[in-house]
Amino acid sequence: MADRTIEDLLREEYFDLLPDIRRVVQELEAEIRYYTLSTSRSLKSPERLEVTSRIKECESALDALRRHQESRAFDTDRPELYTLSALPDLAGVRILAFPRGRLSEIDQALREHFPSWKSDPVRDENDLMFSYYGYCAEASDKVQGEYQIVSMLTGLFWQVEHSAIYKPDPKLKGIAQSLEMRKRTAEVYGALQRFEQEFERLVLGERDFPS
Amino acid sequence: MKQDLLKQAGYAYNFNRMLYVNRQAKKAFSVEFIDDNDENELERHIREDGDRGEWRFYFNSPPSESVRRELERTLG
Repeated sequence: MADRTIEDLLREEYFDLLPDIRRVVQELEAEIRYYTLSTSRSLKSPERLEVTSRIKECESALDALRRHQESRAFDTDRPELYTLSALPDLAGVRILAFPRGRLSEIDQALREHFPSWKSDPVRDENDLMFSYYGYCAEASDKVQGEYQIVSMLTGLFWQVEHSAIYKPDPKLKGIAQSLEMRKRTAEVYGALQRFEQEFERLVLGERDFPS
Repeated sequence: MKQDLLKQAGYAYNFNRMLYVNRQAKKAFSVEFIDDNDENELERHIREDGDRGEWRFYFNSPPSESVRRELERTLG
């Protein structure tokens, strides 16, 4: 019988990890919903807070691990180098807030409850979001969870981008890392940020000085 | 701008490998390498003479032999 490919070994690992991934995402989402409850209750129209969760799909996890390699290829001579448990986001929870003025408050509340979790400096660039990863001790010691706190407009832009471009054709994900697309994407983030800041300024101004 | 340097020197982005590649010069730069080196350093590497017969990969962590072979086969 021919040797199994690294991809096949990783697919087997994925399904071994799947019960743990499910436990982590359920545990993490429940904890985050609970710890953000006081913020949710204090929201005033048009402020919003949404908590969503997702489990990274098998092929998406393989693709992510491959893209983590600088060559975007697995070294076929060294299959032992690769494990999906190295990915911090197999189980992910995203907290979307509008407007962005609420992000720091939510971050502070959650940091108190996840003090040992590490922040992801790459994904936090441009003050785009707060993201952390670590272990939910009650759920798994093999699979890490990740939570992201991001402005609602940016998070919805990612969802549109993902469902319109990358979900139908995951191979295109590499385009996002080109210098040219990174520049254009940063412009979108900047525009969304300015939109939200202006909106927030006007809404808060109206609230401070009601007619 | 780094993207202008690469474009002017004939490099095209390969989104599958996330590399900037010049097939004539037989050179490829990873996005990580580009991020971690300033424009002067990048320009120096773009200008340096390569061995025309062999691909030169500018990576932060040099690819292993088997990965190198696969890249050479893919890039042509």
